[in-house]
Amino acid sequence: MNRFDPRGKANRALLVGVGEYDHVDPPHGVPGPLPAVAHNLTGLQEALRGGRVFGADQITALASPDLGTFHNALREATHDAEGLLLVYFAGHAAVPSAAEPLFLQLRGAEIYRGEASVFPGAEAFDTVLGMLAASRAERIVVILDCCYAGNASHVWEQWEPFEDRRRVLLLMSVQPNHRIDAGDDTTPTPFTAELVRLLGRDGEVGFARLAADVRARMEALDLRTLRDRPWRPFSRMEAEADVLLSARGAPAQPPGSRPTLPITLRPGAPTSSTDTPGPSDDQSRLPPARRPPLPHRLRTALAALRARTRRVLDRFKRLSRPARAGVVLALALAVLGAGSVGVAALLRGSASCAPPLELRVLTDPDLEPTVTAAADAYLTSDADTDGHGCRRSGITVYGAGAADAVTALRRQTEDWREPHDEDLNPQRDVGPQPDVWIPATPADVDRVKDGQDTAAVAHLVPAGGPLAYSPVVLAVPDSVPGAGPRTRRPLSAMLGALTARTADLRVRRPDPEYADAALLATTGLYGTGTAQAADPGRAERLVAQAGPPSRTAADLLCALPEDPSADAATAALVPEFLLRTGVGCDRTTRERRTARYPDDVPAVEPTFVRVRWDHGDRDGAARDEAAKAFRTWLAGPGGRAVFARDGFRDARHRALLDGENAADGVLRAPSPRTEGAASGAMDRALERYRGAGGPGRVLYLLDDSGSMGGLWDGPSGGPGLLRQSLGGLGSGDEFAVWTVSGLGERPYTTLLRYGHHTRKEAERAVRGARVRDAEADPHAALAAALDEMHRRGTDDNRPELIVFITDDEDDGRLTGAALDDVLNKARAGKGRVPVTMVSLVSGGCDRGRPDAAISAASGGRCLDADDDLGTGLADEVARTGTGED
Amino acid sequence: MALRRLAAVAALLLLTSCTGGTGDTGASSAQEVPGEIVIASGRDVTGKNGIREQLIEAWNRAQDKAGTGYHARLVELSGSADEQRSQLLGALQSGSASYDVVNLDVTWVPEFAAAHLVRPLPGSLIPGDVIDSVASTARWDGKVYAVPFNSDVGLLFYRRDWLRDAGVQETDLSAKDTSWTDIDALIGDVDDLAPKGYQKGWTTQLAGYEGRTVNAIEAFTTEVPELRLTDAEGHYDGDVDKLAQGIAELRRRTASPYLLPAAVHSDEPASMSDFADGRTAFLRFWPYGYRSLFQTFTEKQLGVAPLPGAAVLGGQNLAVTASSPRAHKAAELISYLTSAESERCLLDAGFAATRTSAYRDPDLHCTTGTAAPSASPTGERTDPMPRDADGRPKYARGILLPALQKAVQRPRTPLYGAFTQTFIAQLGALFGDSPPTDEKLASALDQALRKALPD
Repeated sequence: MNRFDPRGKANRALLVGVGEYDHVDPPHGVPGPLPAVAHNLTGLQEALRGGRVFGADQITALASPDLGTFHNALREATHDAEGLLLVYFAGHAAVPSAAEPLFLQLRGAEIYRGEASVFPGAEAFDTVLGMLAASRAERIVVILDCCYAGNASHVWEQWEPFEDRRRVLLLMSVQPNHRIDAGDDTTPTPFTAELVRLLGRDGEVGFARLAADVRARMEALDLRTLRDRPWRPFSRMEAEADVLLSARGAPAQPPGSRPTLPITLRPGAPTSSTDTPGPSDDQSRLPPARRPPLPHRLRTALAALRARTRRVLDRFKRLSRPARAGVVLALALAVLGAGSVGVAALLRGSASCAPPLELRVLTDPDLEPTVTAAADAYLTSDADTDGHGCRRSGITVYGAGAADAVTALRRQTEDWREPHDEDLNPQRDVGPQPDVWIPATPADVDRVKDGQDTAAVAHLVPAGGPLAYSPVVLAVPDSVPGAGPRTRRPLSAMLGALTARTADLRVRRPDPEYADAALLATTGLYGTGTAQAADPGRAERLVAQAGPPSRTAADLLCALPEDPSADAATAALVPEFLLRTGVGCDRTTRERRTARYPDDVPAVEPTFVRVRWDHGDRDGAARDEAAKAFRTWLAGPGGRAVFARDGFRDARHRALLDGENAADGVLRAPSPRTEGAASGAMDRALERYRGAGGPGRVLYLLDDSGSMGGLWDGPSGGPGLLRQSLGGLGSGDEFAVWTVSGLGERPYTTLLRYGHHTRKEAERAVRGARVRDAEADPHAALAAALDEMHRRGTDDNRPELIVFITDDEDDGRLTGAALDDVLNKARAGKGRVPVTMVSLVSGGCDRGRPDAAISAASGGRCLDADDDLGTGLADEVARTGTGED
Repeated sequence: MALRRLAAVAALLLLTSCTGGTGDTGASSAQEVPGEIVIASGRDVTGKNGIREQLIEAWNRAQDKAGTGYHARLVELSGSADEQRSQLLGALQSGSASYDVVNLDVTWVPEFAAAHLVRPLPGSLIPGDVIDSVASTARWDGKVYAVPFNSDVGLLFYRRDWLRDAGVQETDLSAKDTSWTDIDALIGDVDDLAPKGYQKGWTTQLAGYEGRTVNAIEAFTTEVPELRLTDAEGHYDGDVDKLAQGIAELRRRTASPYLLPAAVHSDEPASMSDFADGRTAFLRFWPYGYRSLFQTFTEKQLGVAPLPGAAVLGGQNLAVTASSPRAHKAAELISYLTSAESERCLLDAGFAATRTSAYRDPDLHCTTGTAAPSASPTGERTDPMPRDADGRPKYARGILLPALQKAVQRPRTPLYGAFTQTFIAQLGALFGDSPPTDEKLASALDQALRKALPD
């Protein structure tokens, strides 16, 4: 690294310490004076003088200035500095609310709290930085020792132009949004005490090393912030912006052989270092905290606790009587409810592990088992364990439909952050707001970014290249005669050759809406992006099956052996890694399969993406750091071991990570396609998949008999579930809604006539539905619905669906001959109409129940209260319709 | 930064922060700015969210009538408990979403309290009427952090008709104190009867998720009643000998002569399905099984009794978030949602209520929504649950309430996530191909728990 050496230049150091304040009484005063700050100024001044970077006349120390004096001193230092400009501030600081700008409070500071809090007598850090940036100085180092110091990083991160930001290096005493204790009155504050000690060392001390070492020292001291979190100094600097700050005992002038180089950015190098570099190997650095044997730790902790308690009591005794009363009052207030953080942090021993920071990790359903295994291993690894044996972060991995995840990140981030409409709620239907997203291909990031709303409140930050690699293969049963080479051919050619030799060969592909591997396979099936584009309708007929497709590739590989004859005659489009892991099914016998590697199907490439949410930085950079640490582990030996065990390949070299135990049927070097997935091709394939069968027809039956009263309201009620599924229908689709109650001639009432409707129209109609004081006849209603759909579907092959939402209360009318009648109608006809039964009660789809029988006979799905009804129904409707425009 | 800790704390609390401030308020509700109160709660997979929604709407109507300007809104989270916990933790730590009231599983209360994500509440929100065991789930570190909303406890469902057909004289197992030894004997009787489709005596939830923890704690505490795996501060407090005794009991009750093999992969729906399909005579399940199973069975076929030995307490508690700008009004809302009448509504709708009065008070009725069957005047049977003369689920007073009163808690620790993850993973070995000895497994479990819950 080329470190800027400012020795011999016009450098300036402005040290500002505000220990005395004019206003220290409630309601508008600051909490009190800070005598420790005076020691800061003395110590720092001495350290810098001895450091031989600043001459004695280049250092200005200001004790407790007011705002005007502070401005004047800033102006002067800014004007004079040409080499290094160092500005240090210690004192009180304030933020209006989390993640808001930081205000440095000078001597006359006051606090007026309200809807918009104001801080007279303080200066916004943005303004300070703006003034400093006007300087000609080659490097500007800002050191803040105050509450909320880390919040200054937000200003630095957003600072434009970039040229200015790379001159500015920021060292902050504490991570964002944390308050800190000033320590003893008779010594410098804890952070500055360490700073002074480090700057007082012999030899050269640069900014990067100082930042790393002060962090290491503070970690070793194990201090806590007032929110009882580990107290961590924080720094920001661009790559290669380092600067020499002290050179005690070194020659006065820089060696001639070390020229001062302008900052240059290497192509491809990270543009910023948001993390403090690792500690130097200096002898004076404290050793990394190791966990001593328990008895010793216990003794130490008890001694510390005793000392701490004694200190607290001594201080309490020293306080004046009114002050003591204030403490008692404050403690009482804390117990009553508000703001007990400081008290808790003060009185509690710090031996326990604090609950760790929780990372929400969203991934593709095909990858969920692997990412979950990786997270489990990471959580118990040394990488996620601090010096006290405590976990640094907790992780929850969850899968969600890939198309839903892309849509939510593109167009629904505001609803994801704050769901206002009970029918559109990604928190419920997709899952937690991710801190990390691991899609199955980096193309998903482009898909989101290319189509993201300008007002999006979630921002994607990809971290490095893919973590692993697994081609999507055609897994052909060994009993099917091979036909031609296994590689270097497009999917259509492979399928053509295979079916030419085995006419009854079937091909299955999981749901392209649900997992990316299936969508990638679909791009191959359709020839998307190639000259041989196929008709999606024809391609879909090749993979058509009775009933809904398997949701994930692993589900597919477990579903096939359920029918051994089908297993032997069916090729599956799945990611290659499942030939190793996709064998843990209920049925232990299965057909052996050999992978064929089409050269027009992009591979699965799990990619780590940090997702940042607007206003979601209350814990500041700690979340970034936790995500980064997990990414580093995933890409390192720990993560690679998990990917290796699950049959993945190296992301760059494409070799099997566990080459010694390759799964049967897998080629070691298949020379798969080299290009990754293209976002446009994936979007086009999804669009064509949705429209492959043409617009759909859906008939909803909503039970509105009396017993539905308790299952009617709210997003989980019958009408709520129906409304949430309407997003799967587009303007080309036709649908109707019947309410089901009443006996005899009129077993249903038409709530919405069959035809094209906007979502709003349909929602309005459904909102108007009410529970009726009547019983229902599900047999008559279902029979009428099947007749209606058979009548409409005689002329074409459009996708159709009947949905029946019910509490099964009237299933007594759906037994014996009545049930047989419905089952016969469901099986009959040229093309079966799938009936999705949505039972709002638990066990509604148990074996032997009418709902299960009707779904099975018609090739539809049965969903009951033990399933995720909202998502399940929405998926079924989306598969039938063309989707919202 | 502060001058002296105590003075600083005093000032801090009066000013609400170290001159900054992130939303804490010492104001009363009269000083809060009226507006929306957001309640985050998981999608209820048992189909009972209707009554919660109705109670919230009833509160909103009262606010509208009084012209307060407050309005409560329910935001449903995913149906998965793990995802709910992750979103609530992540959102409250980072600020990525704003909630005023959160519905916490009882095992999460120490974690949210210790992380200062929820506020201490006045003890008056939990009156003496709340069942003691249930009330204790709401406290941490000597303070009340949440208010019990609905409870849950392990129960035993069983095939009364088969016991009768097998010649068992007393088929009401709730009438006396039934032990696991009694159950083993009854299983022998049903084995002899061998009804069509019957496979094994009982089933439960032993898949690698929270169900395994619940079942193991029930076995452990039955065998070693004084066993507490964590101390009052949530630190690990177990020992190998006691763990070994607990493991021996879990092994005994899940041994192949009694347990349906599928149970080791079963969650709630799977185990209920096996029982409903007649593959077992006994089922360990939660109270919501009462409503579901009486859809399949008649009172002559199905019985319910307290779980022999120890039964684990479940349920959910409402808490006010540290970041809520309307904390006092949010606490008022919680007070309403957990009032005696609301609890009666929840009981009628199929939840396990948290207050004794909901089970016993003859003058307490639900007047909100359609929780009570009498609210729907149709001729059809509006709900499958057998009810007593007062409209309560028939088993509520005699079986459910005593079960709740005797129920035991899972370990209470701010690191519950790490605890249960470790517990589930280690105990998995018991259900694998070559289970280790009790002592070996106990030793491994002890070591793993020490690492997961460091002192």
